[in-house]
Amino acid sequence: MRWWQRLFRRNQCEEELEKELSFHLDQHTNDLIADGYSPDEARRQARLALGGPEQVKEMCRDVRGVRLLEDLFQDLRYGVRTLRKNSRFTAVAVIVLALGIGANTAIFSVVNGVLLRPLPYPDSEQVVSVFQHDTKVGIERAPVSFANFIDYRARAQSFAGMAALRPFSFDSTGEGEPETSHSWLVTEDFFDVMGIGALHGRVPSRDEFQPGRESVVVLAHGLWQRRFGGDVGVVGRKLTLDGKPYTVVGVMPPEFHLMDKRGMIAPYVLSESDARRRGANFLTVVGRLKAGVPLAQAQTEMRDVAARLAQEYPQTNREMSATLVGISEQMLGGVRPALLVLLGAVALVLLIACANVASLMLARGSERCRELAIRAALGAGCFRVMRQLLTESFIIALLGGVFGVLLAWWGLDVILALSPGSLPRSEHVSISLPVLGFATALSLMTALVFGLVPSLHFSKSDLQDTLKEGGRTASAGVSRHRLRRGLVVTEIALALVLLVGAGLLVRSFARLISVDPGFTTENTLALQVHVYEQYPKAELQAAFFEETLFRLASLPGVQAAGGTTAPPFEDGIEVDSDFAIHGQPAPAPGQEPTAQHTIVTSDFFRAMGIRLSRGRFFEKSDHARAPPVVIINETFARRYFPGEDPVGKRILVKRLTRPVEREIVGVVGDVRHTGLDSPTKPELYMHMLQVPFGSMTFVVRTDSDPVMLLPAVKREVWTVNRNLPFYSVATMEQLVANTLKERRLSLALLGTFALLALAVAAVGLYGLISFSISQRTHEIGVRMALGAQGRDIVKLILGEGLLLTVVGVALGAAGAFPLTRFMRGLLFGVTSTDPATYAAVATLLTGVALLACYLPARRATKVDPLIALRIE
Amino acid sequence: MLPLSEKKCDLPQGTLDLLILKVVALGPVHGYAIAQRLDHATRGVVQVPQGSLYPALHRLENRNLLAADWQQTETGREAKFYRLTRKGRSQLETDAASWQRLSQAVALVLKLSEGGA
Repeated sequence: MRWWQRLFRRNQCEEELEKELSFHLDQHTNDLIADGYSPDEARRQARLALGGPEQVKEMCRDVRGVRLLEDLFQDLRYGVRTLRKNSRFTAVAVIVLALGIGANTAIFSVVNGVLLRPLPYPDSEQVVSVFQHDTKVGIERAPVSFANFIDYRARAQSFAGMAALRPFSFDSTGEGEPETSHSWLVTEDFFDVMGIGALHGRVPSRDEFQPGRESVVVLAHGLWQRRFGGDVGVVGRKLTLDGKPYTVVGVMPPEFHLMDKRGMIAPYVLSESDARRRGANFLTVVGRLKAGVPLAQAQTEMRDVAARLAQEYPQTNREMSATLVGISEQMLGGVRPALLVLLGAVALVLLIACANVASLMLARGSERCRELAIRAALGAGCFRVMRQLLTESFIIALLGGVFGVLLAWWGLDVILALSPGSLPRSEHVSISLPVLGFATALSLMTALVFGLVPSLHFSKSDLQDTLKEGGRTASAGVSRHRLRRGLVVTEIALALVLLVGAGLLVRSFARLISVDPGFTTENTLALQVHVYEQYPKAELQAAFFEETLFRLASLPGVQAAGGTTAPPFEDGIEVDSDFAIHGQPAPAPGQEPTAQHTIVTSDFFRAMGIRLSRGRFFEKSDHARAPPVVIINETFARRYFPGEDPVGKRILVKRLTRPVEREIVGVVGDVRHTGLDSPTKPELYMHMLQVPFGSMTFVVRTDSDPVMLLPAVKREVWTVNRNLPFYSVATMEQLVANTLKERRLSLALLGTFALLALAVAAVGLYGLISFSISQRTHEIGVRMALGAQGRDIVKLILGEGLLLTVVGVALGAAGAFPLTRFMRGLLFGVTSTDPATYAAVATLLTGVALLACYLPARRATKVDPLIALRIE
Repeated sequence: MLPLSEKKCDLPQGTLDLLILKVVALGPVHGYAIAQRLDHATRGVVQVPQGSLYPALHRLENRNLLAADWQQTETGREAKFYRLTRKGRSQLETDAASWQRLSQAVALVLKLSEGGA
């Protein structure tokens, strides 16, 4: 028979072996009888000659060559039977492991999908983003201006190609409500630079980047699914964008998206006048480095190019350098720190789970001492016994792995539901093959980790002692107990580390949301519109806004309505520029003071709830023919008019308006613009009637729920202009919450893991103390017989538990100090060694641990001393 | 009662295989017969501990040097009969030749010592 036949036809092999050997014995016996022996003596001699049949059979079995596998099957069968009998232990161990493996699998699939999967662009390390580095204001990644882009492209030798993207919003009209289609306009090298083509149809060809031919558009996959239901027939159809017909020529594949998920891509043809604009910065630039050119080299070259441009065009480019950022860093750099912290956290959770299961196995092992001793006596080698225990560990680990994967599957759904948009490449996050491989590897590794501990412990010498002393050994039990205590202390220490991490995030979050944004966030709507196209002249723009705001303010339920060019927490048009203060000495060139310039309407401050600290708000009397006025914020006042009243002073404002001196009529409170964690900047506000602007965000303060008033608000706007789409619509609360989404998710996850760790560690402690009590029943009986009260017993037990807890907390704190350093990037307003957090967490952990000890301790007091004394 | 031989030689494993192959080469035979043959042919000097006979037989069978099937003996019982395969035959020739060479070399060395004394 071939070896695999021998494996599967074991019974047949055994039968044949039996037959062969008994034939031999019978023949020999007959021969000996023929020689004169008595039948019994003959039989005996024959057996002696052959040797013990079992031994012979064992040798034959070894020769069979499939011993290892057969033994494995035997171990597996026995292991399953044993685990079924001890179903409570098995269930607890499997659950604990499932939690550990599940958490790790879930986080790993996020890390795998977001960070590890290669980007869909070929040779993506050669694709870089190019930014202007405004050294004066300190912005490293600023958008690039038209003329600078053209010069970068022409002069940089390290690049195989460079393309610019301009954010643009088409007004989609024609069908239903007017809609805004956020798009990128791209220059002709874009698709070559990225190296990716269309999924359906094609990308725009080179000659479609000529003036007059550029009315084609490519759809992003998400938009294609959402608005056109994934219909392939959309290729070739015409859409009305900005009143003109555009032909859809293709659809991009789903994994293609840049930093910002826009719906369409259209060719951008730089006009002559565009090409000359060096000061207007709003292009995003990407480039592909030539093969073999390292990023550092290209960065140096770009800096030189920018330096030369700074000399040639000092008006606009002075203090302007260039920064290159690899595309993967650009896309993923924001989430990488948080994800890595979470990965570290779940690794700790898994360690705790392993320690817990190892402790459980040790506990069970002390009950199995006799069984294992008998096995050893029957001839099982030390290795064989270890193999049996390891097999059981593997069974538990595999079960834990299976349930863990199921848990991770469910958990991923929850994670993805909580993080729409804030997680880049989230469509790749799933339980894929590499993730399953990871889960399997993890199961096997944990089986080794928590299986080896008890296996190594039950060495042969132990077992012989066990048999001698009738089942209860002092020495082995003590060392086992010591090992278990060590494991529990480890669990407590690791749990403390996790709790400290979660606690720090909690404090950061609390600090963050207690920051005063400078305006009231409740009951406010923000709707952004762009009216350049429809009202090209300044007076028309002003008139439109006037009328619309008047109508909005008259709506029942609306307290105030205002407009602004730069609403907080939103992609507004922020203009940072310099100004000059009348009466102060002219600063050195390059040192001009800068401030954010915002244009607002009269009721804006009231609508936003920004308070006035000096002077007055704008009024209708500050119209185009009145003296030019300006309002500044408190940071501005403090920095440039320290110790004096700014109201009545004049400053020269050059941007957004013809350079003219404006009188300061009021000072308002500071407003945080990009996020609650952003610092306040000096700001100046100008009145829309004096400085009309073509895009505004309407800010509407309502009496009650703003969402209910939204249809009425939209209706009023459309009454004034039926074809005006909204660029974005949100409530102020939503905008603020958006900036907190990532922190909230990190906090939720880390908090969950920390609480999980706490629960597992507490359960471990509970189990240990219960066991310890059961071992000390005799001693407790003696004490109670001698007059100890229940209270004293409880104190005794709690004492043991408290010692373990204190050691664990101390170790954990020592470990947390260096480890939380990795979290620094995620914290706000707290240091990684914040003592208050450590103290609070230590108290919580100690409290929970004491409770875990108290419950079994209370049970111990109910012991009847007589029964306890009788236990041997 | 016949005394069971006391002068038992310990055979190295390779030699046992060689002896078995030779015995089987003489014709299909079952395990007990091989033991008897060996005992008989070596005049009782080589008494194979019968316990090692069967593992050796099975090992040779696994290596395809012997083929086995169940047949009826004269007494009507079924026994497992082993016969030599072609591979076994060539293995036997090779091993026998090596053994000859080895024993000749040893004999030479032994003669040398006596002669020199």
